[in-house]
This record gives sequence, C-alpha cells and structure tokens, in this order.
Amino acid sequence: MSTGNEVMHDGVMSTGEDARIFPDVEACIDCGGCVVSCKRTWDVPRDEQRISIATMLEGQEAASGLNASSGRAMEQSESPGETAVPMQCYHCSNAPCVSVCPTDSLISKENGFVRVRDDLCIGCQYCLSACPFGAPQFPDEDEGVANLVGSGGNMDKCTMCEERQDVGKGPACAEECATDAILVGTPEQISDELDNRDSGTFFNDVAMDIIFGEDASEFQ
Amino acid sequence: MSNLDHGKFTRVTTLFHSLLGLDVFLLFFTGYAIMFNDELWWMLTLMGGASGVTAIHRITGIGLVALVVFWITLQVISSTGRSNFAKILPAKDDVDAFIQDIQFVLGRVDERHPSARQFAGYKADEVPLLSYIGKGVVFIFSIELTLLAISGLLIWSKTGLAAMFQTKAAAMAFVTFHGLLGVIMLMGVMFHIFEHGMHPAFYPVETKAFIPRSMVPEHHGDDDEEPDTTGIERLSLSPSWRTVSTVFGAMTVIGIVSVLIGSIFDEGYPVPREIAIGGGPSSILLTVGINLGMVVLGVGLVLSMYGNVLRIRWEQQLEQEREPTTAADGGEPQTDGGQPESDDTEN
Ligand code: SF4
Ligand code: SF4
Repeated sequence: MSTGNEVMHDGVMSTGEDARIFPDVEACIDCGGCVVSCKRTWDVPRDEQRISIATMLEGQEAASGLNASSGRAMEQSESPGETAVPMQCYHCSNAPCVSVCPTDSLISKENGFVRVRDDLCIGCQYCLSACPFGAPQFPDEDEGVANLVGSGGNMDKCTMCEERQDVGKGPACAEECATDAILVGTPEQISDELDNRDSGTFFNDVAMDIIFGEDASEFQ
Repeated sequence: MSNLDHGKFTRVTTLFHSLLGLDVFLLFFTGYAIMFNDELWWMLTLMGGASGVTAIHRITGIGLVALVVFWITLQVISSTGRSNFAKILPAKDDVDAFIQDIQFVLGRVDERHPSARQFAGYKADEVPLLSYIGKGVVFIFSIELTLLAISGLLIWSKTGLAAMFQTKAAAMAFVTFHGLLGVIMLMGVMFHIFEHGMHPAFYPVETKAFIPRSMVPEHHGDDDEEPDTTGIERLSLSPSWRTVSTVFGAMTVIGIVSVLIGSIFDEGYPVPREIAIGGGPSSILLTVGINLGMVVLGVGLVLSMYGNVLRIRWEQQLEQEREPTTAADGGEPQTDGGQPESDDTEN
C-alpha cells in the first residue's frame, strides 16, 4: 500500500502547516469509521460528534451515467444521486465563522488551523449561522449559565487533530478511513489526488472559495 | 407658564425614563463588552467574563421587552397616554420648522422657525413645548428600541431562527442588523447625554426628565401674576461649564467616531468581513477612543442617577416649604381645564 511514504494512510499526503482536509465523496461508503475514530481519540461524549456523514438524496439514482460520479454530476448541475459526504470543519481559508465571532474566540492560525479559544466563547452561536458546513457543535448547551439564559455553551468542533499533526500523524478520521475518503494534504496534493481518482469536488464554487481561498483555482 | 423647558413629563414618564435608561445602559455595556472585547477587556472581566456578560445581556434584554410592552400598553389604555401620543405626532409646523432650520443653517433665512425655538427664553404661548427635534428623538429611540428588541429576540436562538427562515443568510442578516442598530443607537444616546447634560442653562443635568410636571411650579416668583419673562435672565452660567462641556463634547465626538470605525475594523462583526474596509487588529488609538465612548456612557449613567437625587431633594424642599404656609407657590400646580399631567412627552 505504502509507496515509501512515511505517512500511514494513502489519504494522508502531508501534515502540519498548510495541510487541508477534504472529502472524496466517491470513496465514502458511509461506514462511520471516521466518526468512531474521532470519538475514541478525543473522548467525544455519546450524543456529540465532530464529524458526521451527511447522506444526501438517499435511495435515489443519479442522472444517467453519473451514478458513481457525484462530483462530476454536481459540476454538470445534474442530480448526483445518493451521496455520502463526510462533514467536519474544513479549516477554511476564508472562514466565515472567524469573521462573525464577536469575541474573537475563533481564530485562523498562521499554520492554517481554525481554532476555538474556549475561554473567550460566549455561546452566542453566530458561528453556527455562519458556517456553511454545520461544523460548530454546542455540547454544553444545557449546562449551567448556558441553560439559564439560553445561550449555546462553549462551541466545539473538529480540530483537524492539530496535536497529532504536530507529531507527524494524520487526523484520526483520515488515518482510519478504510477507503481513504478523507484527504489530508496541501490544496495541490488534494486536487491531484482527486484527479488521479477521477473524483470531482462535490462542493460548489462558493464553498470552494470559502474553504480554499485563492487555492481554489487548483481545483479548476 | 414660563416654559423654561422643564416639567414636561408625568411621574410615570420620569420613572420610566430612569428605568429605561438603566436597562439600556446595561444592555450597552454588556453588548459593547462583547463586541469590542479587545478594547473593553476590563469591562468583560468586571461583568463576570464571557458567560456572565451574555447572561446579563439576555436578562436585561427581557427587561427591555417588558418595559416596551408596559409603555405601549399604557399609551393605549390610558386617556393621558392616548392624548400624549396625539401630541407627539409630527405636524405641519414640525416639517416647516425642519425646513426652515436647514435654510437657517445654510444662511438663507435670518431666524429659526418658532416651533424650533426651544430653550431660547421664550414663553409657552410663543413656542410649543415640544419641537420637531424632541419628537424626532422620541420616534427614533422608540423605533430603534423596538427593532433592537425584535432582532435580539430573533437571534437569541440561532437554531430557532434558522429553522424559521430556513437560511443561514437570514440568521446572519439579523445578527448584522442587531449589531449595526446597536452602534447607531449608541451614537444617538451619547449625543443625547451630551445634549441634556451640557445644556448651558441646566448644566450639569437638565432635570425635566426627572422631576415630574406635577411638582414643577407654573412660574418662578412669589405672586400669582403671570410674569413677563421666562426667568431665564436670572440664570447664570456655571463657571465650569465652558471647560467641562468642551472636554465632554470632545469625548463624545471621539467616542462616536471610534465606535463607528471600531465596528468596521473589528474583524467583521457587526459589519461582515466582506464589507469591512480594513479588518485586522485594532489600534491603541481605537482602544482609547472606544473607552472614551464608554466614559461618556458612564457619565450619562451618573447624570441619570444624579437627576433622581435632585428630584428627591426637590421633593424634600417642597415638603418643607409646604409646612408653614399653604401658599400656592410650590404647591400642586393648578391645572387649567381639568386636564392634569397631560404633557407626557419627551424631548
Ligand atoms: S466555517 Fe465551518 S468549516 Fe469553515 S472553518 Fe469555520 S467551522 Fe470550520
Ligand atoms: S459561539 Fe463562541 S465561537 Fe461561536 S461565534 Fe459565538 S463566541 Fe464565537
């Protein structure tokens, strides 16, 4: 499997600074492996998850000839049919959540990670409204002051396993994905890999601009 | 009546003004501590950190809604309320006064319209008790407060709002709207504080919003005769007025400008990053400016309390004067036409 690459899984091409995380929806088989590995790694409570698999158009067939090519179907504005999309925080270049957070609790770090600073978060949930991918979660919603005044409690989301990446490991979800549906690497690496696999990007231009910023052109 | 422009409000109105002021100040302090958390870090800490501040903001928000509902109900169910409402509706004179004021500023006419000549030593039969500016303040603040309350309630629960409108854009639009309105309202309130705190005749606080109309004598003087003048010539300018009003005026302007710039530059909220001109961290100048703005609000809060202290002193004084004699002076005002306390309006 490995081609002399130190990295453990094929989906993880590089880690650390400038590494991005992005799904290959063609490869995702909705097995839930990423959800489990994330929960196990970070002790995510029972009713919470930092990554979830959104199943779109369940049970439907794609437009003719596109059944195994959801990404292509989307590019041609055709129905992609049933598609499983691993949804998590994509650590956007133009993160709308960072833009709206009134307390600067959300920050875009130099190394490309989008981080929540727990002690500053007031649970206003503005990030929830701003994020197009449903990444922000509010596990403490019913606790303490949050419960009394109806705020959201501290925001929680995928960290792209920054701590693991710091020591050269890939994010837990990507490492454990049986089909390498979660890609980690530079925008260029991710785009090349998608091309090799003949998979499309699934997200529309607006979303791609949010996630990759100027690097979105890599995916044209 | 002398019309030194005090004693326009009923007891309920003056009480309402104080409660509303207190509630709105708390909303401002918490809202701005959240919004300008870099510049006002000390405020955030004082009010119990991130979660304490939201708790206070939401609780006082409910207080605001309660006050607004109470006020609207009062206007509808009481005949005084209804007649007062009729009185603050804009009339042709107000439009004329407004137009003439613009011409006056441009130098096209020699004097201001009678309906705009408040505070200038005229008597009640010469100028109306309420100018278009006063009416404008009432309407602008009422509309702003109502919109702030509605948008605040709508964004209280983001999940609720998104479920209602099915779009994240709608949710963000309300957030942005609430924030922008807060900035605009703050500028208005700062100006309101300056305007009524630094008035040369009434400095350091214009008491008309604190001392109810029923307690203010119809005119100053010992006899029952209607005096020839308003008595304004007997007032003397406080020696500190010039300095204090200059400093306070400068602080008000710097505060207003800084809050405006700050809300554009402070990383997007309430002006989203896409619209923001600059973005990025705020500077020391902005920090100083925004803090000055908060000082202006603080002074407003103190003045508002001081106004209430003045009313209590005034009450005691009336009490003492009433004891030896039952002279008309200082007693309950004689209302003509059996319509007591009808000028229930604000300026
Ligand atoms: S907008 Fe959503 S996906 Fe993008 S960085 Fe923020 S939380 Fe993550
Ligand atoms: S919930 Fe927390 S992280 Fe999200 S926008 Fe509000 S303060 Fe920022």
